[in-house]
Amino acid sequence: MRTSLIKGGLAAVAALMLVAPAVAGSDTKVALVPGGPHPYFGAWEQAGKDAMKDFGLAAGDYRVPQKWELAQQSQLLESLLTQGYNSFLIFPGDAVGTNAVVQEIVDNKGMAIATAGCLKDPTPALFCMGTDTGNSAYLGTKQLIKAMGGKGRIAHFTGFLVDPNTQLRIDAVKKAADETNGAVTVVQVIADIDAPQPAEEKINAYLAAHANDVDGIVTTAWVPAVTAANSLRKIGDKRIKMVGIDHDEVVLKAIKDGFVNGTMLQNPYGQGYIGSYVLNKLRSGCKLKEDAPWKSNALTKKFVDSGTVFVDAGQVDTYVDAMRGITKTILANFEKDYMTCS
Amino acid sequence: MSSVVTEPLTENTGTGEQERLPVLLRLLLSNEFGLLALIVVAAAIFATALPGFTSPFSLFTLSRQIGIDTMIGLAMMAVIVSGGLDLSVGAIGASSAMAFGYFAERLGLPLAAAIPFTLALGALLGGINGAVVVRSGVHSFIITLASMSIFFGVMIYLTKAQAFNGLPADVTAFGRMKVLGSVSALLVVTLAVCGGLTVLYRLTRLGREILAAGANPRAAELSGVPVGRTVIICHMLTGALAALAGLMLTARTGAAVPSMAGHLGQDWLLPAFLAPVLGGTLLTGGRVSVIGTLLGATFVTVITSGLLLMRVSEFWVQAFLGFMLLAAVLIDRARHTILKARGMV
Repeated sequence: MRTSLIKGGLAAVAALMLVAPAVAGSDTKVALVPGGPHPYFGAWEQAGKDAMKDFGLAAGDYRVPQKWELAQQSQLLESLLTQGYNSFLIFPGDAVGTNAVVQEIVDNKGMAIATAGCLKDPTPALFCMGTDTGNSAYLGTKQLIKAMGGKGRIAHFTGFLVDPNTQLRIDAVKKAADETNGAVTVVQVIADIDAPQPAEEKINAYLAAHANDVDGIVTTAWVPAVTAANSLRKIGDKRIKMVGIDHDEVVLKAIKDGFVNGTMLQNPYGQGYIGSYVLNKLRSGCKLKEDAPWKSNALTKKFVDSGTVFVDAGQVDTYVDAMRGITKTILANFEKDYMTCS
Repeated sequence: MSSVVTEPLTENTGTGEQERLPVLLRLLLSNEFGLLALIVVAAAIFATALPGFTSPFSLFTLSRQIGIDTMIGLAMMAVIVSGGLDLSVGAIGASSAMAFGYFAERLGLPLAAAIPFTLALGALLGGINGAVVVRSGVHSFIITLASMSIFFGVMIYLTKAQAFNGLPADVTAFGRMKVLGSVSALLVVTLAVCGGLTVLYRLTRLGREILAAGANPRAAELSGVPVGRTVIICHMLTGALAALAGLMLTARTGAAVPSMAGHLGQDWLLPAFLAPVLGGTLLTGGRVSVIGTLLGATFVTVITSGLLLMRVSEFWVQAFLGFMLLAAVLIDRARHTILKARGMV
């Protein structure tokens, strides 16, 4: 599935070449740096390589801190800056704590875009591009409620509590449930489980004890989505409805087989590719417009939604097309909407 | 600052022999000398092969990292010397830093008040660990494993995982301050604390009691050392130093961040143990090396930074570190063997 995603991405890039002509001999050295190893960011590596080739970048390298540690990410970013990288796409190890190292990047004539996750204002990052996490969780829960027939009890499995996005997701799921005037209730939120061991332990234990007490499951982090999909397959009861997140093959196959109703897809390839394009444009003299149609979220007032889409069994084989369309639309209009280029 | 290797009140035979050796030979035989030599060699190789290694920015970030990692190592060292350990150093550091954010930002206290309150809170949390260890008789591993979750969980509950990023400008300015061109002011703080700890362990009665209690609690008790009280003081010192490390990280990031030490504060555990143990502090207690801890943290930071600059994959850095640490231990062992064969020991 990942291969098909990459192929789809490559096809999209070929089409996008018409929109974004290559810049030969650019001195833009882009580093794409996630907060740590996670399958979500796998598409960034190909995005960096494609952007390097298509836009003539001096580098488009995907560099991963070996662990999810703020200190390790900061140390890696400092090292990359010393090595001469001047443009950064960063998933913040912490929405506030990463601002310090981004400030150092800016002080040393570099620039950075917070990618896939936002930095909290005031921030020296140019802007944030990622999934509107709250909206994605809200829309996913609405889809789940629809699948449940508008009533029932929901369990919510999500990511780390130290990630501010987690609270946004918890609030969004609750908001969608509250809108049913009591017909739907969130009976359990299990957080801090976006890693295999705690996810396996807590989700399996919960379902073993309370499978009969819930009618729906919404997951808003990658690993819990995979674990919950596997658990529902093991139980073999399709009574419990589920909406997951992201495009892990386990989740997609569970959708095909009817154990999961759908998933909220994000656009990591587009984030890496578009972000590299924008950084190169800015280094070649373009400026960001202050009055651009920035969106807002809980962390920043300069947010660009990289797209999210609900995929069910009917679209699971063609979801790459949907993401390709979103990427193409954002890239085609980005310069006009967000930048001033002389 | 002088080399600080303080031996317990109860001396072993080897120590007695070493005491009679000439000063220069004792220096050559010391763990600290081996580390210093390795640091010099590694730094020379990296400086020659990697032009960016000696850039002002690189030197600044190196010195800052050394300052912070050494402080974390000192926090653990302060309890290891008593024969215990503290898995909650990261949780205490993060909790104290968040308390500092509350004091300075929410309550608007001046830094002159907020900083002592923060250090006192760290000491209090450490003291709770120490008191429970002494009262229960359960090993500090178990007690601090539990308190790590308790401290961190309470902090997350009280703060809702929201950072304090409206701290006084002086905090951020200090984190970015340079002295002597490219040296981080945070390293200066660490050096000052190293000096204070050196005095504590070498020149004060309390320091000698701590070492005695760590080396042989039963013998120390019979000698009139209040071992229980000493263990609690060690944990309090650990808590205060962890709080100071949290403050330094707060200055470095310009904000009090709940995830500064990772989930449950676990990110601090590796530097906390690596620096003192590399530096010669015995895990069984009774022997401490303040300058060794400083050199241990420096060694790890230099190697990590150099490997990253060499573009060694981040996933290999840890493996390289392991190899280097093993090599360091073996080289140190070989040095002793050679000197012994030549009748110099």
